Amino acid sequence: MKKLLIPVLCLVVLAACGGPATKEIDIATDTAEDADFSSADLATIMEGMMPSIAESGFLMQYKAEHGGQKPVMLLAKELKNETDEHINTRLILEKMRTRMINEGFADFVDDQAFDMALEQLNLQATDLYDNTKAAQIGNFVGAKYVLRGTISNIRKVEGRQNYNYINVTLNIFEVETLLIKWTDEVEFKRVSTKSSTR
Amino acid sequence: MRKAALAALLLLAVACATYTAKMELTDDLYFDGRYDEALANIDKLVSDSSSRDYYLLLLERGKVNLAAGNYDSAIVDLQAAERRLLEIESTISVAGAIQSVIVNPTMGEYESEPHEKIMISSYLLLAYWLKGDREGAFVERNRLIGRLDQHVNGLPEEDRASFDVPFARYLAAVLYEIEGRADDARIEYEAIDRLLPGTAPETVNTDLRELVVFAEMGRAPVKVSTEIRGYLQKDGGNLVGFFNLPGSDAPQMFFLPGFGGLELEQSGVLFTFAFPRCVRQERVVHGGRLVIDGLEAGELAVLDDLEATAVAVYERELGPTLVKAAFRTYLKTIAQTKLGDDDDAAGIAFNVIGKLFAAVDQADTRSWQTLPAEIAFYRMECPPGRHTVRIDYFGEGGEPVGSSDEVEFSMKSDSKSVVFLP
Repeated sequence: MKKLLIPVLCLVVLAACGGPATKEIDIATDTAEDADFSSADLATIMEGMMPSIAESGFLMQYKAEHGGQKPVMLLAKELKNETDEHINTRLILEKMRTRMINEGFADFVDDQAFDMALEQLNLQATDLYDNTKAAQIGNFVGAKYVLRGTISNIRKVEGRQNYNYINVTLNIFEVETLLIKWTDEVEFKRVSTKSSTR
Repeated sequence: MRKAALAALLLLAVACATYTAKMELTDDLYFDGRYDEALANIDKLVSDSSSRDYYLLLLERGKVNLAAGNYDSAIVDLQAAERRLLEIESTISVAGAIQSVIVNPTMGEYESEPHEKIMISSYLLLAYWLKGDREGAFVERNRLIGRLDQHVNGLPEEDRASFDVPFARYLAAVLYEIEGRADDARIEYEAIDRLLPGTAPETVNTDLRELVVFAEMGRAPVKVSTEIRGYLQKDGGNLVGFFNLPGSDAPQMFFLPGFGGLELEQSGVLFTFAFPRCVRQERVVHGGRLVIDGLEAGELAVLDDLEATAVAVYERELGPTLVKAAFRTYLKTIAQTKLGDDDDAAGIAFNVIGKLFAAVDQADTRSWQTLPAEIAFYRMECPPGRHTVRIDYFGEGGEPVGSSDEVEFSMKSDSKSVVFLP
């Protein structure tokens, strides 16, 4: 009995030791760590949304009607977050914008650069600058469309199991008419199970 | 007898301060409204704390920060604590469990009670709301509703009224109203009405300009360690020793002739039976009247009796706690008698360890101590513009016992305002 108990006691007394370890993760093959929203979900959303936008009749029709020109769009300030997680939803919208610009789907006005641009225009209008080369006022382009959306979830926690359904719905509406020109959703559900010991 | 005296000294010398004892000064400062001093004190406790108490102390600090108006700091502390408490929920630490049995239950990491986890989300919601982050507050409201459902659905039907947290539901309902989600608000108000008939508004009107004031009153009950300590030794054909009972000034000596046949070594047996006692805190404030723009509006109504919830949780867990305490006492006695009965090194080691661990045994007195005893509320229609609000508190006999700080708030033309007075 004592011979058995002594090593057990030693094990209890000796806490596990270990240093921090760092490993590079390939974003392309990254998987979600648990049931919560994760960086891997951004790729899932892009994979679902980008082909849908590419194939939408709205973009093709716009280009056909405007001599091959791309539509000018604006991002909503953020995706409406109806989940139970604090998510940087702006990241989703900005990732969409990056892909849409790089793939030639649309031009975007920078919704966050207005004050900065105004400051520059005002400065360049002063005698500090060469007025012949200064940026001219009155050339801002107004957005005809806005990209916006909502992210929602339904979570169920049962003991050590955490079920989470996430839905991301994006849409593009026309500023003049409020008509939705394109919309799609990406949804996924996963369950994470905690280890019973820690 | 020399060994007995040594044992007595050991018992008196090694007792560590319990969590309740460590928090006493911070609690006094906090409930006295001296938030800066309470924060200075708790900062030291956090920096000196072991990993076992760290997240509980973050809860305490988060609560003090919330009361002090340091909303960002409150969010950081409460979120860090919540993340860890949810991470360890429904899991077991093998090392912690063994240490809890062998040494004492404070050796395990603190795992908060379900109603405490709901209060974390409630306070996070308030912190986001009061700092002006509507989106953040709505996210916390969503988390809160999820936690409430998880908590209440896991309870037997007869326990649901005792362990529900109406304050959290009311807070969530008000935020649903602010967001224009009348149906969601109605569901929460109906749940509150089942718990506390007449408390919820009769109809949900999301367009009505209303002020909702939540005020905390009194201190949550604390746990204190109750320890029955003693020493038994064989003296010829007799049994001698002493008991140190809770509340007694001096050890009670005893001498039992004819009990020398018990299997006790000459070194005797040191034992401790320690269990927590839930102690309600003295109440000075028994109610309050809301004063808005210098005019008395009315008396606050009790929304949540957190003291009763804490006592109900304690009573539910008392049985298993006593069984665990008895098991610890038994193990340490076994170490000194059955395992420590040889003259070899291992036997001596078990004997000494058994005595030492018996001496350091104490109950787990950890709980979130900066929680209030009660949360009261007042709701009224309010014209737009800037207003001031305070609460005049009264004692048991209706006598005035002081006032809260005066808080200024802005009533928008299309919404509801929430004021929190800790």
